[in-house]
Amino acid sequence: MGDTPRRLLQRLIRRIPAQELKPTLEKWGRLSQAQLQTIDFTQSKWALTGKLGTICEERNWAVKHITELELIYNAHTVELLQFKEQFKSNLSELIRNVSVKIKKHTDEAVWIRIAWGDGLSQPNHFKPTYVVHYLQTPYVFVTSLNSKQKPLLSQALVLATSYHAIKDANLSGRKFTAIRDLLMRQYEQVFPRKFHSPLKERNQIVTDPHIEREQAESSANRLQMACEAFGGGKLPQLQSAVYKLETKFRGHNKSMTQREEPIRCVVKFASTNILESLRNCASSGIASTPVTPLLSSIPLKGRNYFVITDNGPGPSQTRQQN
Amino acid sequence: MEQKQTSVVKTPRNSDGAQRSSYRQSYRSYVGAVSRLGLTSALTARRLNTSRRAPRAHNITDKVSPEHLAVLVKKEWQLSYVTPLFQFRHTQLKRYSQQLSAFIAAERQGVAVEVEEPQHSFKASFSVVHGMAEAEEDAETILIQVHSKHHFSRRDDPEKCVWSGWLACINGSPEYIRSLPKDFICLPLFGSSGGDPLTSSVKSWFQQTFDCCFGSLEINHTSLQWLGSLWTNCQPESNIQHLKMIWAVPVVPPLQITYTVNPQDAWELWTCVRKDAQVEKEGEEEEEEEEEGIIDIEEVNMFMQELKSHFYRHFKLDLSAGNLVQVSTALGSAKTSGRIKISNSRYMISTLTLLTECALLKMPV
Repeated sequence: MGDTPRRLLQRLIRRIPAQELKPTLEKWGRLSQAQLQTIDFTQSKWALTGKLGTICEERNWAVKHITELELIYNAHTVELLQFKEQFKSNLSELIRNVSVKIKKHTDEAVWIRIAWGDGLSQPNHFKPTYVVHYLQTPYVFVTSLNSKQKPLLSQALVLATSYHAIKDANLSGRKFTAIRDLLMRQYEQVFPRKFHSPLKERNQIVTDPHIEREQAESSANRLQMACEAFGGGKLPQLQSAVYKLETKFRGHNKSMTQREEPIRCVVKFASTNILESLRNCASSGIASTPVTPLLSSIPLKGRNYFVITDNGPGPSQTRQQN
Repeated sequence: MEQKQTSVVKTPRNSDGAQRSSYRQSYRSYVGAVSRLGLTSALTARRLNTSRRAPRAHNITDKVSPEHLAVLVKKEWQLSYVTPLFQFRHTQLKRYSQQLSAFIAAERQGVAVEVEEPQHSFKASFSVVHGMAEAEEDAETILIQVHSKHHFSRRDDPEKCVWSGWLACINGSPEYIRSLPKDFICLPLFGSSGGDPLTSSVKSWFQQTFDCCFGSLEINHTSLQWLGSLWTNCQPESNIQHLKMIWAVPVVPPLQITYTVNPQDAWELWTCVRKDAQVEKEGEEEEEEEEEGIIDIEEVNMFMQELKSHFYRHFKLDLSAGNLVQVSTALGSAKTSGRIKISNSRYMISTLTLLTECALLKMPV
């Protein structure tokens, strides 16, 4: 066996995580059962490489066999290729003069850059649309898309990913990582505990044993409920939440409360990080705890645009609002 | 010396008829205090009006020239209060224009400049805005504009207005004005729009020439609530398009809550609140004055309280924990930092009346 396939093999084995090594080799199918059994997978990778190397030499494999192994390991790469092909062809069918560039990032995300043109003009590379799709998830993140392009993109995506339909998640913000983390819950979740134990305050004031905080328990409770609603630690940076309310008047004025028609208003919460602001509101008592479902739906449902009517939160509609 | 005090007293919820006449009482005691020199306790006797006339649509276009209106309306002004001006004459405006132009030029160049020189790159002009003064004692509004002209531009090139400002007194308290010594003119409200260097030059010139004092006029939340209610009151005549209120909640990081109410719904709530308040008033057999068109602060407070309750029932968040920082409708917008925009000239007088009152209260003299 030449040098190249050996080096390739070495590199490949280094890359494949230990627990995936055995199933990958099995899927590869070029090692017989007997041979597989002789390989002790608890050995270090270095030793494994040596062992496999000798088997390779016995069987006289060439580079192409090793690359086959590599391909199998990257099974989802094949899936990616499929997605790429389908998406490009779909979009090109729908609209001419569109330039599509697809790239896969290391963290399982597929980034697509689309420059739109129409039948008459060349693709405009100064106003591209970016789409990010995590292949194993049903989420697609889009930026800079206008209403004419939206149905085209939606259709291309649905066909390429072989899902049934695509709909607005009613979640938008300025930081992509924040939205992604919110949706996929990549932040510290706090769960209700049966036995309430006070959470450590984040800003620990110097604890003087002579100072006793009168409301320590209730403030600990508030903090606990605030963290349950919004999460602990550092929260994803969402910039705003918009609620469109169409509910009956809920003040004290008698004639107003007897009115049949709803009051229409729009409430917008804005901050550099509204989740942290709202958590702070709950823990400091500005917002009463337990946190109302209207606010806790932001992290729970991963949305920041809501239409609230008296029959419960309205269905996720039409366009997102920024 | 900038005292940030809220010289506003919130009338308690269960008010009796005596509160209504507290306005007259407070001003009487204030005027008495002025004659006693150096008595700063007079500040506590001054209060913002607890009731005011509902804004009527003024056909102001009849009285004020359209050019002046175009300058005043739809621009955002930064407000300040001004103490009374000594020996300011409405007849000397041309001289003031020349002096101010020279002053601005001198400030910029750092050397003394001749007053009569026509080559200044900045030209100031003073003019009187006729038709805005309401009460007898009000001085006529003064408009100041600074135009700039590049040295290299031709003679016929139009000059660009780079800064404008105005001094006004609309429905100023007659007792206060009458109590001023001779030679003092009361124009307590100053609005400016333009670059900061020019603003400070103009203010310096005024301070030097008329021995007056400028100070920033913040609009506190009571005045903002007044403006919101007064504007809502205009809904049947002119569509306000929305009642938008912005609160700043002091959490980390700071949270801003924008609460926009549909105009028709805001109007209905306002009328319901007023009706209830009127019923309560009728319950007390007090003076039988004609109450048409008078709005009391209790109604304003109740209106805001109802809006906050509606909000609380949904979000369980108490807006009173935050500060009201902005109120805006299609008729105008007001921010707590002292920035005001009047978008509709019909209600300009009422808005300026309220602001004149704020300026008079904020003045340390």
